[in-house]
This record gives sequence, C-alpha cells and structure tokens, in this order.
Amino acid sequence: MTREEFEKNRRRFGDDIDAWPVPLRGPALAFMALDGDAGADGALDRLVRHAALVEGDDRALAREVMARIECGAARPSRLPRFLVAPAGLAVCTAAVLVAATLAGYQVAGLQDQPQDSELLALAAGARLADDGGLAIAADPGEGDPL
Amino acid sequence: MLRQPVPAAVPGEASRGDDELLARIAAGSQAALSELMARHGRGLRTFATRYLGHAADAEDVVQEVFVTVWKQAARFDPGRGRASTWLYRITANRCIDQRRRRALRNFFGLDDIGEEPAAPEANAETATAARQELAIVREGLPSLPERQRMALLLRAVAELDIGGIAHVMGTSTGSVEQLLVRGRRTLRDLLADAAQGRERKSS
Repeated sequence: MTREEFEKNRRRFGDDIDAWPVPLRGPALAFMALDGDAGADGALDRLVRHAALVEGDDRALAREVMARIECGAARPSRLPRFLVAPAGLAVCTAAVLVAATLAGYQVAGLQDQPQDSELLALAAGARLADDGGLAIAADPGEGDPL
Repeated sequence: MLRQPVPAAVPGEASRGDDELLARIAAGSQAALSELMARHGRGLRTFATRYLGHAADAEDVVQEVFVTVWKQAARFDPGRGRASTWLYRITANRCIDQRRRRALRNFFGLDDIGEEPAAPEANAETATAARQELAIVREGLPSLPERQRMALLLRAVAELDIGGIAHVMGTSTGSVEQLLVRGRRTLRDLLADAAQGRERKSS
C-alpha cells in the first residue's frame, strides 16, 4: 500500500484501522509499521497479533483441563519433569559418567589381573609360558672372522 | 479474513476481575477456572503455539498451565503484579520446559520433527494483499531468535508492557527493549523486502 492509497482509505474509512474493510487492514498496518511514525511499533504489534492468531477449541481445552484435574495428573509426559530441568540433566549426566568410569575400572581391572601375575612371576625368575621354543637361527656367516 | 484480535489483558477492571477469579479458584471454584480459561485460554494458546511452533505441544502446555493455576492459585499475590502477567510467566516457563523435552526426545530419536502450527489461511493466503502481509509476519516469527520471539509475542499477543515482559522473562527492561527492537527490525525488513518485490513486479 502506498501513502496515497493509505491516505485515500483513511479519508474514506476513518482513522480506526479496525473499522476498515478486512482486506485493507493488513496492508494498512504494514504500511504504518514501515512508515516510521510514532505509531509504527504499535502497528507492527497489531499486525503480529493478527498474524499470530490460531484457531482452537476453547470447550475442548476446558474439558481436558477438568479431566486432568479430576485425574490428578498434571503431566502426561513420558519424561519425568526433573529430567528436563538443567539440574536434573546435570545429575543424570554425572551419574552416567560415574557409572561409565566405574565400569571401565572394573573391566580394566579384570584384564590386568593375569598381566600382573605374569609380571610378578617373571620378576621372581620364572620362565614365561612361551619361553621354550626354538631359538632364532643365527644369520649365515655370523660370528665368522672377517 | 482477519479474525478478531485476542482479547486484551488490560489493566483496570479486567485485571481486578482476574484477581477475583483467582481468589475464587483458590477457594475451589471450578466455575471461576472455566471463566479464567474463557478469558485467557485463546491468548495463552496463541502465545504458546507461535513460540513453540508446534500446535499439539502448545495445547499440552496451556492445559498444564491451567492445572497449575488450579493447584497454585492461592500463591498468586495481586500486590506483586497482574494476574495476566502471572499466567504468561507460568506459560513461558512451561514452554521452555516443553522445548527442552522436545529437544531431548528428538536427540534420542523418540519423536518426529516438530510440526508447524495450524495456519488456516496458508493455502489461499497469497490471494489477497491482506493475507500476504499476515503470511510474511507469520512466517517471519519462527525465524526470530527465541528470546526475541518471546518478547514480541508477549508484547503483541499478551499486550504486556515492558515491565511485565521483563517480569515474565526474568530479565531487565533494557534487555526487553533491545529484544523488541531487534525482533521488530527483522520483521520490518521482511515486510519491506516483500513490498519492494511487489513494486518491482508491478513496474
């Protein structure tokens, strides 16, 4: 809508945009919002209000709310409320980390046991279980005088 | 066709009426709760739907809000602010929780991607200039950063003043003013781009 059109409509329908024909209201509010006058922010807010409106069934809302109140269940969500709060998330994350750390130590501990016993035996002078095979053959000529 | 705007939560009689309703709700009156839902249900649903971008989640949030009001109406202190501000504060907090829940569900693959809210005019909205303007704003809202969108919706839909918005969002009035300026600037840019595009087409 141009300024000319806006002024023409204003002379015709008056200053109250809500009294203008419906198809002209949106463009008029957009024009005012872009015009930079004192009422520009107000016009944009009204345009946002019109644009944001959503249909809904008020009776269904009342029925659902009353049903929830009667059931005493305010929250049908599958996720407990504490899980989505920042503190709850932090606690859950910490619990998972601690559990993973403990599990890691447990597994690593089981694997370390035979290694530790072998090292202890070796230190005590025992031969390793695989020590007893054929020695690696010397290279031909190895040890001969040059 | 443009629908009637959301009834304004204006100070004065309406506010006093809300206070009385909350007092009656605290005393156990379901009729008072129904009246409060009739007054504010549509505005809260509009706010939640446009903030969350998901109609079903918004419906769930609004139901939760009124159940909370039923349980905690006695906690409302008229001396600390208007009833509508209190209602929108509860709604804003529930919306933030709902966003987190949805993000968590999406992260674990428990949910589908969020649906867009129902937009009855979407199919035919390019037919008239009026609908074009509305569509530009409607489609521009989800592209705003969350806090800008919340501030703008609280101003436009809930008709809260700067102080009320700051109270709902738990921030300073200066911060709210900045959020509003930035949000409005983005929407104005979108409207201006569309207007220029139309001029180019017509010339």
